[in-house]
Order: sequence, then C-alpha cells, then structure tokens
Amino acid sequence: MSGFEVLKSGYFTLLQDRGRFSLMYLGVTQSGIMDEYAALMAQKLLHNSLDANILEIVFGNVELKATSNTYISICGASLEFFINDEPRDLWRTHHIKAGDTIRVGKMIQGQRVYLAVKDGFAIKKELGSNSTTIKEQLGGINGKAISTNEFLPYDECNEILYSRLSQKYIPSYDEEILVLRVVLSYQEESFSKKEKEKFFGSVYTVTNDFNRMACKLNGEKINSKLDGIISEGISFGAVQIPKDGQPIVLLKERQTIGGYPKIGSVLSIDCFKLAQRKVGSKVKFEPIDINSAQKKLKNFYSIFS
Amino acid sequence: MQIKIASVDSVIIYFSNDISKETSIVVKNAYKTLKAKNNRALIEIIPSYNSILITYDIFVFDFESIKKYLNNLLLNISMNEKENKNIINIDVYYGAEVGFDLPRVSKVSKLSFEEIVEIHSSKVYDIYAIGFLPGFAYMASVDERILVPRLQTPRKNIPKGSVAIANNQTAIYPQNSPGGWNIIGKTTYKLFDKTLENLTPLSIDLKIKFNPISKEQFVLNGGIL
Repeated sequence: MSGFEVLKSGYFTLLQDRGRFSLMYLGVTQSGIMDEYAALMAQKLLHNSLDANILEIVFGNVELKATSNTYISICGASLEFFINDEPRDLWRTHHIKAGDTIRVGKMIQGQRVYLAVKDGFAIKKELGSNSTTIKEQLGGINGKAISTNEFLPYDECNEILYSRLSQKYIPSYDEEILVLRVVLSYQEESFSKKEKEKFFGSVYTVTNDFNRMACKLNGEKINSKLDGIISEGISFGAVQIPKDGQPIVLLKERQTIGGYPKIGSVLSIDCFKLAQRKVGSKVKFEPIDINSAQKKLKNFYSIFS
Repeated sequence: MQIKIASVDSVIIYFSNDISKETSIVVKNAYKTLKAKNNRALIEIIPSYNSILITYDIFVFDFESIKKYLNNLLLNISMNEKENKNIINIDVYYGAEVGFDLPRVSKVSKLSFEEIVEIHSSKVYDIYAIGFLPGFAYMASVDERILVPRLQTPRKNIPKGSVAIANNQTAIYPQNSPGGWNIIGKTTYKLFDKTLENLTPLSIDLKIKFNPISKEQFVLNGGIL
C-alpha cells in the first residue's frame, strides 16, 4: 500500500479540508481548516485542488514514514521540521521517497501547521467532506483525530515538482497586537456608542478557552442592551457578547444557531490569523465597512486561483 | 421583513421580532422558496424561529445585489400559504430510569409522573428550528402546566435519545452530548443517521407527536435503560 505510516500522531492532528457545506440547516457544523492561508498555500505549492484534504497539526510532535514516492508541502506555524533527521524549510515542496521519515517537531511561532500530500490522501469523504468534527463523529478516519499506527494512504507520484513561496508571502505570527477587522452586523444597534468605543478602543487577550469552535477573549467588558436574543444562525467570525461582557469569536466548528447578542463579525482572513495565536497573545478590533471587507476577501482568494 | 448584514459573506433576514406560530410559518415558506431556487451561490441557508441566515458566494453577489435578489424573491411570502400537516409519531418510554429529571419536573409542576407524561404526549408540536447538534430539533409549545426552566448547571453527558423539556420547548438529544434541558424520557427513534441519504427524517415543516410506550416495548425496540 502507498501512504504514510503514522509513527507518532502528535497531540492533536486532524484530517481537514475546506469544510462541510450546505448542511448547517440540519445542525451540522462547517468544520474545516482553521487557517486557510497556510492550508491553501500548501495545496497551491503542490498544484493540488484547493478542495483536497490536508493534515492540520496542532502543537507538533508528529512522525510519518512514507511507503512510496510522493511530494509534500508544509505551511503554517514555524517549527522544527525534518526529513530523515535533516532540517528542512517550510513553505515549499519536498520530494519524499519510499522509506523516508518526516518529523514535525515543536512549534516556535504560531499554533497550527498544515501538511499536504500530492493529490491529497485517498480517504473517503463523509457528507461531502473529509473535515473531522470530533463532537459529531464525522469525517477524518472514523470521526476521530489521527492516532499512532494509523495508515494515511495516498497515490504514488513520480512526476517532477518543485515550488517554493517567495519570502514576502510568508506570514509571521508575532505581531505584538493582531488587528481583527470587524464588519458591524447582527445586533450592533443594541450596543451604545460608548460600548462600541470600548470595544474598538481596547486590547483583548486570547484566553485558554480557545479551540476549533471559538476563541474567548478577555479584556474590557462590553454591554448589550439585550439580555439574550431569539436563537438565530451564526456566521463564521461572529463576535458574541455573553452576559459577562467578554467577546467570543466563533470559528469553524461553531454551533449553527445560538442566542447571544452579536456586535459584528470578524473578517474571515483575520479569523485565519487568529487561528495561529497562542493563549495570552493580544488582539484588538477595528471596524471595516462591508464593501472594503468583500474586496479584501476577494483579493485573498485570488492569490490561490 | 428586514435584511441585515451578518458577516462579510452572509446576511440575515428577520421576519419579526418575536416567536410565534405565524412567524414560523412565514420562515418556513421563505425557506422553501429559497431552497427551491437551487442557487449554488446561496451556500448555507439556516432557518430559525424568526430569521434565516444566508451565506453567499461573494464572487456572485455583493451586499446590495443579494439584498435585491432576496427582496424580489420573498416579496410575496405570506403566512397564508398552507401549513404542512404531516405528523411524525415518536415512541417514548417515560420512566424514572431514563427520565432523570421527572422528579424535578414533578416538584416544580406539582404534578404526578403520570400527569406529566399525559400532558407532554397529548400535544402535537411544531418544529421551530434545527441546530445545536446535527438533528437537534427545537419543538414548541409545551403546555404551561409543565413549564420548567433549564438546569442551573448543565449535565456533562446526556444519553442519545433523551427526550427533554426546557421552558416552553421540547427536544430529543440526537447523540450523547452535554446539555441543560430536563430529561423526562427516552426514545430509540433516530434523528440523525449519516448512512441515510436524507440524514434525518425531520424537517422544519413537520409536526411531532410523542407516543408513550412501556418499558418492555422500549427494550424490545432496542432501547437502553
């Protein structure tokens, strides 16, 4: 068989793709890659379909052994990365020969790294997607995180492939304060001018209440005039303000409907950057109008097309 | 009807400011109209009590054009269209072994277990929204005599198939999950089955009725006590 033997699965490694779509009306979450920039760049370097699946590795400590020839690319958090114990660079393709071992070590900067293989892993989709959602037991391999001794099949590739990303497109994940641009929306009118000034004028800290579903922040309390709202659909990046006044940014595995007031939604591109932030890092919000936001998002995707 | 921005690529349509059966019928009709368009640029359509969230392809629509498109499409949506009268009957074993909160509901309502079961199972419920978990349907309205608030501290693990009430709503947990509703019974009825093409027998325009069954029948149906 052609594929990777998983010698070490790491702390939290998931098979993902761009997500599971058109099923939110049944309560099925979107799921999918948390940092689309790094993940889609890894696919682009390999000339893969942007819809191909990929490994999302959190905290590192993964070791794979190839049983046949292929190419990989690895993008995202900066970390120690070795092929047969030789240190290698991220943000480029690497030729892998049968018998090679790939080791993803400790992360230095950022939270998540994406490992793509030429043409993706030959793993069956579930409900239209390979994205793993553990709480729904969907996607991946049996709806679970990758575990040690599992086998990740791919089709052997012997063509010649080389690409490397220009330095200027490699993001750094170490800005002192990450700016999250927010489109005011939903119940924004229930926040007074004073509350909005607080929201946009303060620096928030990423708490350890941060997972694939949401990122809870800590800082200046924001109050809505509303106690709760009638449950309604939640978009990617929506900023919920619960009773304690501390903002929660809803991410890929958010629940489909919910009843907290929302002041707006963080621009998707900035949610991808947030996905790389560690607990304790600082963020601040900045307003952006809908037209500029859509222009930015279109520009973002045009890089990959 | 009011269309507002939800995020960079989604809008939310509000049909009213409150929960009512009339609003729910308008939402359901609007939802059906939107689904029937089969427009691939409408990526997600999520109906709820008084709203529909729509995620759209920003390479096809901008905010102004989606607003116009939706306004035109939903201009003639009304509550006058006929309601779907189809009822799904769901067998439930209401017993203390599976209905952990029957004592609590009994205490708050000052009713016996038998009376609670009679009240809960004699009504036909409307589905107002599906969400929270795959196949979790929010149903209403529960009779005023058994209105009991959510638990102060949610349970860490509610077994799959648990039938629950909270305020004027009732629901079935489609899978093991944390949750804060009052558990009064259990069913073997499957609300979400990934092996089925339609995934769930439920849809927001169906009605639900609960049918009390004996412990023996529940076990015979494959129920776990």
